[in-house]
Amino acid sequence: MKTFIKSAVASALLVSFAGLPVIAEANVPLKHDSEYVIDGKIYGMPKAKIYRDDYNGPAVVGDYVTMVPHLAELDYKGNKEHEVRMDVFSQKVEVAPGVSYNAWTFGGSVPGPVLHVREGDRVVFKMKNRSTEEVVITKPFKGASPYFDQIAANQLQKHQPVVAPMPHSMDFHSGTVAANDKWATIAPGETIEFEWIANYAGTYMYHCGTSSVLMHTAMGQYGAVVVSPKEGYPTDKEVDQEYVIVQSEMYLEQMGEDYIYDHSAALARDPSHVVFNGHVSALSENPLKSNAGDRVRIHFLNAGPSGTSSFHVIGAIFDKVWAEGDPRNTWYGMQTVLLGASSSATVEFIVPEEGVYKLVDHEFADAERGAAGALYAGPRKK
Amino acid sequence: MYKWLSVLSMVVAAQAAAEPVIIPAGEYKPAVLLDETVEVVVMPAFKLDAAPVTYAQYLEFVSENEKWQRDNIAAIFHDGNYLKSWPGNEELPAGFESKAVTQVSWFAARAYCDAQSGRLPTLDEWEYASNYYLQQQNLSDKEYAQMLFARNSNPTAYSKQDVDANIEHLEYMHNRVNEWVEDYQLLLTNGDNNDLLAGSCGDSARFMADFGDASYATFFRYQSRSNYRPQSTTSTLGFRCAYDMEK
Repeated sequence: MKTFIKSAVASALLVSFAGLPVIAEANVPLKHDSEYVIDGKIYGMPKAKIYRDDYNGPAVVGDYVTMVPHLAELDYKGNKEHEVRMDVFSQKVEVAPGVSYNAWTFGGSVPGPVLHVREGDRVVFKMKNRSTEEVVITKPFKGASPYFDQIAANQLQKHQPVVAPMPHSMDFHSGTVAANDKWATIAPGETIEFEWIANYAGTYMYHCGTSSVLMHTAMGQYGAVVVSPKEGYPTDKEVDQEYVIVQSEMYLEQMGEDYIYDHSAALARDPSHVVFNGHVSALSENPLKSNAGDRVRIHFLNAGPSGTSSFHVIGAIFDKVWAEGDPRNTWYGMQTVLLGASSSATVEFIVPEEGVYKLVDHEFADAERGAAGALYAGPRKK
Repeated sequence: MYKWLSVLSMVVAAQAAAEPVIIPAGEYKPAVLLDETVEVVVMPAFKLDAAPVTYAQYLEFVSENEKWQRDNIAAIFHDGNYLKSWPGNEELPAGFESKAVTQVSWFAARAYCDAQSGRLPTLDEWEYASNYYLQQQNLSDKEYAQMLFARNSNPTAYSKQDVDANIEHLEYMHNRVNEWVEDYQLLLTNGDNNDLLAGSCGDSARFMADFGDASYATFFRYQSRSNYRPQSTTSTLGFRCAYDMEK
């Protein structure tokens, strides 16, 4: 703590001498001797630990970990240390009516769970490679994150455990660390544990980085971390609903009764399906909900693995768009937001009237392959 | 009595492995250039088991080598799940006699081959044999790639199929289990240096001899296996043994 204050003051002084605005100091205390502060952000995390243990508890742990499109409310002030677990294992999931494949997953769904933290929070992350086990996620589990109940309540993907032993890794784009250490690949049965600080506000992709990274991501290993800004977005008090959408491509081919991954199609960027939240019907079976006159905020991540997304809401205009979810990157009055693979935007719009608003990837070849959903708006209540 | 005898002879027959097959000498162009200065590898002839080692064969090995039995193996030689599905030290899981043995570590696989006066094949030997097999079977690159990705998509469905231990030609290279090789831990090099981009998110194109489906499929096998530890045991990873030609 002593070192932290000293360096924080020193960096603040340096910055003010340079004639730049003083940036607020970090709020979570320094924890390890290796850590240091630059511009209020903490760097220098200790080495990742890799070990074997007999853990067979809930596969997803963390109070602020949810299933898409839900985002947990940050019901605490300032910063916090989060204990988060997302085990990696296989699961048969449906992505379109009658089309299921054996996905490689974080936490059992495609996309994986959403983690919500605040800028400056510390995440202590654990992940066990349980690809040699049948891991059930559709039953309640004591100590599990809210994600578990939400999966149980929404069985669109028809999750079934499958065994598919494979080395995997975890790469959080929201973490600023040495990837060769923290994003290391672990063999089945191993657990990796590391920490990162949510130094930058925004909506970030996480994914498996093990080679072939194209196959690992296309098989379903990705999801979103939402890092809310320390000072919030300027519209926080006006927002009525807040949702998360993750777009991704599927590259599947039929083999007998099953569908398998098609690497040639993945290399050719010729997806069989393009989906919002993991299923062509995810946002039509369960449309987003609001009322006329509401301000809706969507954290939209294009997970790829290789395609772009031109996100559009039919009948609305994004009056505010924060590129990558960083509140300093404000755009106004956008009809469509173009996102490359692993890019995100936090968009807001006013729901003009009661009715149905379609959400599409305006690259219509992708919309035709499934990248479409709906927001259902009830009558005005205010 | 006759019935008993015939059952017994069947069991014995199932356990007697066929002779290993000879893989003739030749040249081979690896799909993956582990060393960018080597494009063609000259291979001497060697012998390779026609099929992966079965549970029944492995049972014979542990019966004769107590220290490789499930409850006796030294902790440093496995990850805690060695032969986990076996009900006892000398008892196979029901119905598994003719399946490729899995849940064996690299250490255990080496010990088995050593006991047969053989060894694990090198990565080059295994891949060279795979090329030989694909030619024998007249499999196209596309068919081969599809077979491999299908197995990776649902490995358990493949590992649970029987193998014929008496088969006389090379078989089951890609449609049963992934197999240990002696030098399975990849050291991707760039001349004399280790490759900086190996590991996470590596772009594989730097290592590909060509960019067809088959090469990507092969590269995926290299990469995923190289991330195992020598202690790793899984339900889809087995092995077969190689033997030098008599001098």
